[in-house]
Amino acid sequence: MLAEITNDPGSDGSGAPASEPPASPLRVTVRAAKVMRAQLDKRGTPQAAIRFGIRGGGCTGYSYMFQFEDGPPRAKDTVVEAAHGVRVYLDPKSLVLVRGTEIDFETGIRGHGFRFANPNVDGSCGCGESVSF
Amino acid sequence: MANEDITWDDPGALFQIEEPNAGPRGPARHPGRGIGIDLGTTHSLVAIAPHGAAPRELLDEQGRALLPSVVSYLEDAVEVGHGAAARRVEEPARVISSAKRFMGRGASDIDFAHPYRLHVEAESSVLRFDVGVDAGFEAGRSGSSRRVTPMEVSAEILRVLAARAEAELHEPVAGAVITVPAYFDDAQRQATKDAARIAGLEVYRLLAEPTAAALAYGLDRSVDGGGQGLFAIYDLGGGTFDISILRLRDGVFQVLATGGDSALGGDDFDRALAQHLLEVAGAPPSGQHDARQREEALVAARAAKEALTEAETVTVDLPRSGLVGHRLGRVELEALLEPIARRTVGPCRQALRDAGVRPSELRGVVLVGGSTRVPLVRRLVEATFKQPPLSDIDPDKVVAYGAAIQADILSGSAREGVTLLDVVPLSLGLETMGGIVEKIIPRNATIPIGARQVFTNYSEKQTAMVIHVVQGERELAADCRSLARFELKGLPRLPPSMARIEVSFQLDADALLTVSARELMTGIKQTVEVKPTYGLSDAEVDALVMESLDHAEEDYDARNLAEARVELGRVVLAVRTALHEVGHLGELLPPQERTAIEEALARAEQAMGPQGPQVHKAINAAREGLEKVSEPFARRRMERALQSGMSGKSLAEIESALADEERLAERRAGHEPEPLA
Repeated sequence: MLAEITNDPGSDGSGAPASEPPASPLRVTVRAAKVMRAQLDKRGTPQAAIRFGIRGGGCTGYSYMFQFEDGPPRAKDTVVEAAHGVRVYLDPKSLVLVRGTEIDFETGIRGHGFRFANPNVDGSCGCGESVSF
Repeated sequence: MANEDITWDDPGALFQIEEPNAGPRGPARHPGRGIGIDLGTTHSLVAIAPHGAAPRELLDEQGRALLPSVVSYLEDAVEVGHGAAARRVEEPARVISSAKRFMGRGASDIDFAHPYRLHVEAESSVLRFDVGVDAGFEAGRSGSSRRVTPMEVSAEILRVLAARAEAELHEPVAGAVITVPAYFDDAQRQATKDAARIAGLEVYRLLAEPTAAALAYGLDRSVDGGGQGLFAIYDLGGGTFDISILRLRDGVFQVLATGGDSALGGDDFDRALAQHLLEVAGAPPSGQHDARQREEALVAARAAKEALTEAETVTVDLPRSGLVGHRLGRVELEALLEPIARRTVGPCRQALRDAGVRPSELRGVVLVGGSTRVPLVRRLVEATFKQPPLSDIDPDKVVAYGAAIQADILSGSAREGVTLLDVVPLSLGLETMGGIVEKIIPRNATIPIGARQVFTNYSEKQTAMVIHVVQGERELAADCRSLARFELKGLPRLPPSMARIEVSFQLDADALLTVSARELMTGIKQTVEVKPTYGLSDAEVDALVMESLDHAEEDYDARNLAEARVELGRVVLAVRTALHEVGHLGELLPPQERTAIEEALARAEQAMGPQGPQVHKAINAAREGLEKVSEPFARRRMERALQSGMSGKSLAEIESALADEERLAERRAGHEPEPLA
């Protein structure tokens, strides 16, 4: 059950993703979406998307993938519309491992960056860059 | 503490959006494409020093290096520099000429006179200049409103300088080092970064102006000093005077003290001379000189002052005021300037006092700012610091040169093999019991950064604690790089886990790490300073990080094992101590319970031996068994201690003691490093 999925790149994701039901694949806070929007614009590719997922590697076997995506979504991708017209693509395999994750943006002693609160994770390594399920 | 599986309270790392196919970390380097910008109050300029070359300033089409930090918002066009400065007289409110003084400031900070119409937007409290047409200024024109922030004004200046650099490099600028006064606070530094962002310029880092000047002179590398020494940087610009005392240690500069006068500079020289010239010309029939006459006098004064650095006399004309062929001598000029220049001496002495430095201890005095060309100023500096100042590098350009050198290094050029840092390349931590590394400052934290953590004692007999500072990503100290080791002695004898030793790490903007350990009850303190990455190349850093990934699994096993052993050892020690002290008292420890405890102790000893990936689970099980079986004994012992300790004390005293105890427990549990305010 996937909520609010669209593959229309032109649509303006003006809805507040914060109000999505918990079963939604991904929640992007407005603050995080704003930073994504700014970074997409700064990169000179306002139409590009963000790809979020899991790949192998890292100390406990898995690590996050979080990168710009210039192409259109792949056939089985899930597209999440966040605030500020930001689109995030998830591949089906990753979706199993990240469903319900909240992406937030944080500024703190470690500098600035995105924080992933993934309810599926039961352990993360010291560096935090890899996760176990 | 030692869990079954590794689960951290730490919610995880912070991530950045990566470029597809990008390397796993680190910004892309573009050797030779870094620029240095001196964003000054009066003038700004840009310099480059590509691929280790000597720094040079970049000129505009008319061959001028200095760009007046002036932006005009007239006729719907934005103009920067000389053209804008020429329009200052006619439209004082719409030609912004000292945006730097407004950067990152609120309305209440603006305690100096200025000709601008300022607006404060209630919600953001950001100051804005209204540069629209003033309805009252000219009849027949309707008012309009256009508001710009000081950051936007500075961005216009940065854009012009970046364009100059791109024309020279024939490729995009990869990043800039922008200089800021040493005293700039976080808000002012952030505003400077914002200005660069608006201008589309990547900021490698902000650099303190005095540090930039010292870098330009290569004071960090001079052979005779061996990377050590004290320096004074005397910066007399157009509108501001700054004095900074720097300490160089292990090739890193640290600002010890700053001082100055934010309303004192070469412009005051010009005004004093202009005033003098207008007096010589005599008052016009209206009784007051008009704005254009005053501007003419200022321009003439500036030219005369500059000419008199070399010449003994000059001729001055003020056609608008009817002054023709006036002869002005250097002696006459210096008599006018001396009272102003002398106002810099007090702040210099104060800064020396603040830094606890005598003039004779200084290894050099660097001159910065165009006004230090005035011979009178040089004589004053020499008299104040008791040594001739360094003046080989053009004082208008020395700050930009230093920034250019640093920008070149940060762009990735191989320049004397130095790695300069704006993030921590490898985690910094402490060795704790069992050789485990407790990371205090995580890798990739932006500097400057501070963090502290409270540690405790392991046994009652412990009267000293070894603080072993290590750098690296591995879990065991033996696999990390040892940076420093010192001992905090004279710890009070306290039961295990009762002492509180606060260890703080401070990594300043120049990547100098200060580690302090303080026992909170007695206040005894030890401090050590190290330069964590000195001599570590990018490639070595990469190799160390990769190694930590390769060894991740065995590292975690080793850490789990070491932690489990430490915990079990602590419990064994506590139980043995208790047995030794009160174990013979029958009412506290019935014989059958004693037997059970001794059996558990024996099992614990056995569990300590083996090695292997999952051994920590057996050790933890042995610890839990021992804790469980000795728990009634521990409780009875505690009750007895409380009864004897509390008799004769008021309820309030007991409660406060218990509250202290709870706070202590909380702090001990709070194992995460906490940021320093």
